Amino acid sequence: MKKALVRSAMIVLALLVLLPVLWTISTSMKPLNEVNMFPPKWTSSSMSFKPYSDMFFYLPFSIYTLNSLIVAASATVLTLLIGCLAAFSFSRFTFAGKDTFLLIFLLSQMLPGASVIIPLFQLLQTVGLYDTYLGLILIHTAVLLPFVIWLMYGFFQTIPRDVEDAALIDGCSRMEALRRIILPLALPGIGATALFAFLGSWNEFFFSLILTSSDSTRTIPVGIGLFVGEYIDVWNQMAAAAVLFSLPPLILFVLTRKTFIKGLVAGAGR
Amino acid sequence: MRKLTPYLLLAPALLFTLFVLVYPLVQNLINSLSDVSMITGNSGWIGLHNYQHVFEDTLFWRSFRNTAVYAVAGTLLALLIGLAFALLLNIKLGKFSSIMGCLYTVPWVISPVVAGFAWKWLLNDNFGIVNYWLSSVGIVPVGTSWLGHPGTALLSVMVARVWQFYPFAMVMFLAGIQSIPQEQYEAAAVDGATMVRRFFYITLPNLRAVGSVLLVLGVIWSFNDFNMVFVMTRGGPMNTSMVLPVLVREFSFVHFNLGRGSALSMVIFMLLTTLSFLYLKLVSRGEQA
Amino acid sequence: MRQKLLLTILLSLTLVTCGKRSDVVELHDWNFGGRARLIEFLRNRVYSFEAKNPGIKVIQSDKSWNMIREILYADFAAGAGPDVMNTHSNFAAEFGEAGHYYPINRFPDFETVKQWYVPHLMESTRYKDNYYGLPSSAIAFVLVCNRELFDREGIAPPKTWSQFREASKRLTKDTNGDGVIDQYGLVLMGGDKGGFAYRTIPFFFKAGADVMSEDLKTIMFNSPKGIAALKLFADMYQIDHSITPGFLAYGHSETNDLVSGNKAAMSIEGPWFRGMVSDKSPGKDVYVVAIPVPDDMIDQYTTAPTLQDMVMYSINAHSKHLNEAWELLKYLRNEEADMYWITQDLGATATTKKALASPEARNVKDIDLYINELNHARPWPPHPSMIAIASNVFTPYCQKAIVGELSPKAALDLAAKEAQDIIDEKK
Repeated sequence: MKKALVRSAMIVLALLVLLPVLWTISTSMKPLNEVNMFPPKWTSSSMSFKPYSDMFFYLPFSIYTLNSLIVAASATVLTLLIGCLAAFSFSRFTFAGKDTFLLIFLLSQMLPGASVIIPLFQLLQTVGLYDTYLGLILIHTAVLLPFVIWLMYGFFQTIPRDVEDAALIDGCSRMEALRRIILPLALPGIGATALFAFLGSWNEFFFSLILTSSDSTRTIPVGIGLFVGEYIDVWNQMAAAAVLFSLPPLILFVLTRKTFIKGLVAGAGR
Repeated sequence: MRKLTPYLLLAPALLFTLFVLVYPLVQNLINSLSDVSMITGNSGWIGLHNYQHVFEDTLFWRSFRNTAVYAVAGTLLALLIGLAFALLLNIKLGKFSSIMGCLYTVPWVISPVVAGFAWKWLLNDNFGIVNYWLSSVGIVPVGTSWLGHPGTALLSVMVARVWQFYPFAMVMFLAGIQSIPQEQYEAAAVDGATMVRRFFYITLPNLRAVGSVLLVLGVIWSFNDFNMVFVMTRGGPMNTSMVLPVLVREFSFVHFNLGRGSALSMVIFMLLTTLSFLYLKLVSRGEQA
Repeated sequence: MRQKLLLTILLSLTLVTCGKRSDVVELHDWNFGGRARLIEFLRNRVYSFEAKNPGIKVIQSDKSWNMIREILYADFAAGAGPDVMNTHSNFAAEFGEAGHYYPINRFPDFETVKQWYVPHLMESTRYKDNYYGLPSSAIAFVLVCNRELFDREGIAPPKTWSQFREASKRLTKDTNGDGVIDQYGLVLMGGDKGGFAYRTIPFFFKAGADVMSEDLKTIMFNSPKGIAALKLFADMYQIDHSITPGFLAYGHSETNDLVSGNKAAMSIEGPWFRGMVSDKSPGKDVYVVAIPVPDDMIDQYTTAPTLQDMVMYSINAHSKHLNEAWELLKYLRNEEADMYWITQDLGATATTKKALASPEARNVKDIDLYINELNHARPWPPHPSMIAIASNVFTPYCQKAIVGELSPKAALDLAAKEAQDIIDEKK
């Protein structure tokens, strides 16, 4: 009896939590003249998937999607690569300046975006990376690195050194130990971190807006922003774009959630 | 060569951070001490003049107060909700828990820009579903303007922010709870401790580390959160929901005063750095104890 | 075999890249904002331009009007940016002053081109002694009235301030008898700082108040006439309660939703609003009339100025292809192109004399009203800080006066002082 009560409560909570999402889905299927009317209706007879196809005519979303995928995937891989090396360094070595370097990574999260944008823009311009995939990927990587390093550092710390030490005694090099022993053990943690990194890059709006200018590099969030026109706000198509845009990270999360939770359990246990 | 290994491993990450942190930081520092306008460029050294202007601006202090409330209250609320949900998900209901867990995590996955707009639609005074429900049962008058009333604008944005952040706390807390050794609970059960006592004397203390990390991260991220407030209120009505990151944009891109915008950025940076130092001090003291 | 393949690939790559380095001039053209129809038109216009000018290739990008300032400033700060772009005509002051826009009066055929346009509108692209763009999309602010609500009440759109206030009061009511007011006379766009200033200043202008002195040195909106204009709104909000209470959060779409949904009877808008309303609520019609004048100025009803705003197409002063950019500019904005503003509803008025005098112009709704208003309208003073002052000083103080936190006189005096400080600092 008690369990049934708990279950019902949890379902009600889920509905409440998902309210904004459900409303967005409802908006995405309405014709424009039914968005924002009184009294508000969840459904109507003229609902369809038309906004989902219209949005591709309004703006080249297929290109934006490709761009978002390329940038997010590349930034994730690059961040994990560099971040793992750095986290490994922090976790398994003692060296002069270690605390300073840790501090530097922590501090780099603390500058507001609006203040770093112009120097970064000038930097990209100078090296010819403005409005390119590489430029955006590099900036995203730099923004994601501190958090990724912090996460991976935590995961590495939870891996006991015994197996590693045994391998080292057997004549393995440090790097081999990293590759053959630590990384496989840290896989759940890497999975969790990869999800964070992907999400961070996929949803990023501000830098993507200023550091790209053409359709061939524009990402989805910037594209969604274009729906808010000077006079017209095409809410239904925007909602459709928002729904589609939220699907890849959602799917990724559902697919990897076991690894994700496992990774965080390991990390939180330190 | 051996001695250099850690440095070599660190090098790529450091290089990135150098360009994305050190360079803009130095640039901001220089700008903050000069008279720099978007229109006329750098007109020369003016020392602490920009900082003086910032500290004398009532809008700065209001933004500071708003940001502090937004960051601290918002994060605490998100942690509370996250903890509550984590406890719920900890109840062994098999696949059901797993599915619910996925659903509860959805707000975190949604882009902040999308979330901001979705909440704006929900909270619309005339056509929003929230007002429709609340006014039907008489809790609020018809047509209550959540985002248009000075008293409720910031709170409304905070609700959206909490909605987006609580899943992160929930997942971290859940992981934390599930890694508490069972022996502790068993020992307590043997001693006859009630569920409430077990929660306060076993669960909570074990979650202190996770909780404090979440608190610091949440506060830092909220302090720099531009998207939510910008999308939902732009800092209005009448600047009553203005927060520091949005104010930086105002100074730099609307007043065109890059010098003042940089000074404000430096102030935010130094504030967060101080907070982090204090946190690190607390943590190290806790570890020593 | 593999070597041959490699060689072929390398060769083709070299050829391709070599092909790029021919004498083709590349122009970058940024379109800020604009409806789908306009963007389509601009694309086609560019293709036809390329066909007529084989040595020029134009790369178009669409960008958000909302972040226009951030995007352009970030680019100009780095010495980059497009060759051709469209912005508000009042950017002439800021960008002209900063040397980012090219003074098009330097081109040899400028005097001829200048004659294409309504003189009054051409002047809006001028700052000091230079012209910084070609006019496009002119806007005059007018009063839009929900036809259904006005007809139902049996009143005509107002011409004087007293009529305006009376109409607003009568159209504020409880329509379904549940004891709650659900229809308001006037909706104000308080959530958009710039938009709010654009909608209140026309009343100042119509009353004969100025924003600044001619020499751009003194703030003048706190004159007795300006205070009277602000007091009108304040009284309507605090005494009549005929202005929508949630106005501080409203942007374009909320305003449209309210008028289209019969929840508000009047709004201060421009040529886009009629189309917006019928898009949202097909079949819905509106009365579009000039902004009302003070009672004692009724004889100046058709000549008192309203606020004018305009888009202009400009050339980046750092462009490496000034002459080609000028050719593109002219092609995008000549009389032939301007006809599109007549034959399509682009939410703005055409700007060339020829298009406005054409027979097709007769089919444009409210065209005579707009032509008249545009001939008398005034833009914001072309001071580089004008937009910042309007959004960040004028708007907050006016809003405080309307909701009753300050008296209209106190609000405008304080705003004037702050604005004056900003102007003086800029010297």
